[in-house]
Amino acid sequence: MDTVLRNTRPTAKQMYLDPRTKTLLCLTVSFIMFSGHSTGIMRYVLPCLAIFPLIAFVILKKPFVAVYYGTMYIFSATVPHLMMDYCPPIINALFAGMVAIFTQLLPGMSMFYFLILTTTVSEFVAAMDSLHISKKFTIPVSVMFRFFPTIREEYAAIRDAMRLREVGSWRNPMKMLEYRLVPLLMGLVAIGNELSASALTRGLNAPVRRTNMCPIGFHWQDAVAFSFCLAVIVLFTLSAALGW
Amino acid sequence: MIYMKEASFIYENSINGAAVTKLNAQIPKGQAVLLCGESGSGKTTFGRLVNGLIPSYYEGEMSGDVFVKGKDIRRAELYELAPFVGSVFQNPKSQFYTLLTDTEIVFACENLGIGKEDILSRFDGTVEALHIKRLLGKSLFALSGGEKQKIACASVSALMPEVFVLDEPSSNLDIGAIWDLQKILLTWKAQGKTIIIAEHRLSWLRGIVDRVLFFEDGKIEKDLAGDSFWAISPEEFHNMGLRAYNRFAPEKKLKTGGHGKIGLKDFRFSYKKAPVLNIPYLEIPQGAVVAVLGDNGAGKTTFARCLCGLLKKAEGSLNYKGKLYVGKKRTTLCYMVMQDVNHQLFSESVLDEVMLGVDISTNTEKEKIAGEILSALDLSAYKDAHPMSLSGGQRQRVAIAGAIASNKEIIVFDEPTSGLDYRHMMEVAQNIHRLSSLGKTQFIITHDPELVAACCNYFIFIENGAVTNSGGWTSESIQVVADYFDRV
Repeated sequence: MDTVLRNTRPTAKQMYLDPRTKTLLCLTVSFIMFSGHSTGIMRYVLPCLAIFPLIAFVILKKPFVAVYYGTMYIFSATVPHLMMDYCPPIINALFAGMVAIFTQLLPGMSMFYFLILTTTVSEFVAAMDSLHISKKFTIPVSVMFRFFPTIREEYAAIRDAMRLREVGSWRNPMKMLEYRLVPLLMGLVAIGNELSASALTRGLNAPVRRTNMCPIGFHWQDAVAFSFCLAVIVLFTLSAALGW
Repeated sequence: MIYMKEASFIYENSINGAAVTKLNAQIPKGQAVLLCGESGSGKTTFGRLVNGLIPSYYEGEMSGDVFVKGKDIRRAELYELAPFVGSVFQNPKSQFYTLLTDTEIVFACENLGIGKEDILSRFDGTVEALHIKRLLGKSLFALSGGEKQKIACASVSALMPEVFVLDEPSSNLDIGAIWDLQKILLTWKAQGKTIIIAEHRLSWLRGIVDRVLFFEDGKIEKDLAGDSFWAISPEEFHNMGLRAYNRFAPEKKLKTGGHGKIGLKDFRFSYKKAPVLNIPYLEIPQGAVVAVLGDNGAGKTTFARCLCGLLKKAEGSLNYKGKLYVGKKRTTLCYMVMQDVNHQLFSESVLDEVMLGVDISTNTEKEKIAGEILSALDLSAYKDAHPMSLSGGQRQRVAIAGAIASNKEIIVFDEPTSGLDYRHMMEVAQNIHRLSSLGKTQFIITHDPELVAACCNYFIFIENGAVTNSGGWTSESIQVVADYFDRV
């Protein structure tokens, strides 16, 4: 029978990459973007990294996300600089600092979204297994992959309920937050409990080595991605240590 | 296969389930056993004693013995029981772990470390046996409740256990999906599996079940053979608190004369350019209780959301007492009681919940009105209670009270009785009667013939997004609706 379980190589859905490679990419981009300074050679490296999520979204055919990311990044990277000269210092201190941090965080966050988007629970568990990482870490993290869509579903239902009751407008933000979060958390806790009961009756905590039915393994694409990460890390080290 | 002697269990946290006392039962291999009884009678707890969730997952005090295939469940770990006992639960939303149907089906096999080739052949066999080829390669979030439930069955089936424990698997399903589930159970039965199923809806299990255990207050009151159970009369079923099967016969007629009309004009909605709803004109008598009937995916929910003004891009206008309501405006006129009523309770006490909607400035005035609404709905005794501490039926009434407080004239119920026993179903019917006597117009989306019979006096059929039939009860329309509920 034709099934993804019989795939032997990562497909377009996984962006042709091994989950471990993607994890490394995600970590590299978020770490370097966050701790790198735009001086010396890093002046050219950082924009390269910032463009990376954009390319990923385009390849994955997510035009809306790509445009959204691009606009947000360009806005946070340019607008504060342009405004700086015309604003009082107090606003600059508060506003510019925040936006600057945002510029550094945004690519990392987008890479994380890219990781979630292209990696399934099984692939993630398989990748972590092959790195000999304990189930105690893998299982809670793997549930997260499944929980994002659940949160979205539950949240949409609650938003409908609030619209029907005509409560929780922006006029009273604290109330609005309460009305949204309390039912959301209640619902998620219930789903979480039922989910773990169901997973446990299917042997989730069995002490045996888990079989992994998804294709993981390295190919030339991974080699390219690895060299990219390596190059970035080397440049970052040179720039930090020797002031290149 | 299953041996239970003097088994008792009390939950440490009573929210988790109903206690059982001194259960004695022996279930041989290959028997299909139905567990029935009112909510809170201990059916679910019995199932959990078999699949080992008690005492491994739910904490509490246990005494007596339970052996499943010779294993003492008090000592066995859940993963040791997993290859022998497969469990399917009530809520399709919360029992899949991965995101894709294919990976979900082999999830349990992977966990237990079964070899790759073996898993692939089990996968093929399961997909073949349960006829779910159509669902492969899909995201679980894109499936309907019935389809999710099929995947849940497939996931346990792939382990090839000898015992299946199903806890109200049909609660959230429509009629078509229930017949599919029936086919799956028949497949398992033909394979000689032992089946233990707790259920409220009974008619679909005729022909599957060999034996019935009737629960009352945590005890097995009756232990009957299938034939003698099905011979019990519908009245007796109701006395036992069980759902019964009757040919559909509505009890309420629309009072003739003196009705205003509610006019729905040009209700249209498209999703990704495909039309989902298209109602050029529809008239409903004001104050009617309208059953909204039709298969899953026919557009009932879209109709309801459109009616309530929840769909931004929906077209159409509603004429109520000569006033036109367009788009979002309709949220001021209409209210929906959701299937999961927990989503719409926001406050810390029942009284606060109702006062939230009252649009008057002075607090004493507010409280007076809220008090009146609460007493009309028989909730005065609970006015300081937290909504989440109430029973399901009471919670639904609190949501209704909120709707009345904000002067909603049209109230839509989305599957209000899925997974309810007879008594609780009648409680919902009672709530609907109350709203009728207040002059509200109601739309009830439901697959429950007993509920329609008990409280609806008008109906509309939705097929492919269009209203194909509507009207009050006449001998012809009763015939049509009865045939709809009876079709296989």
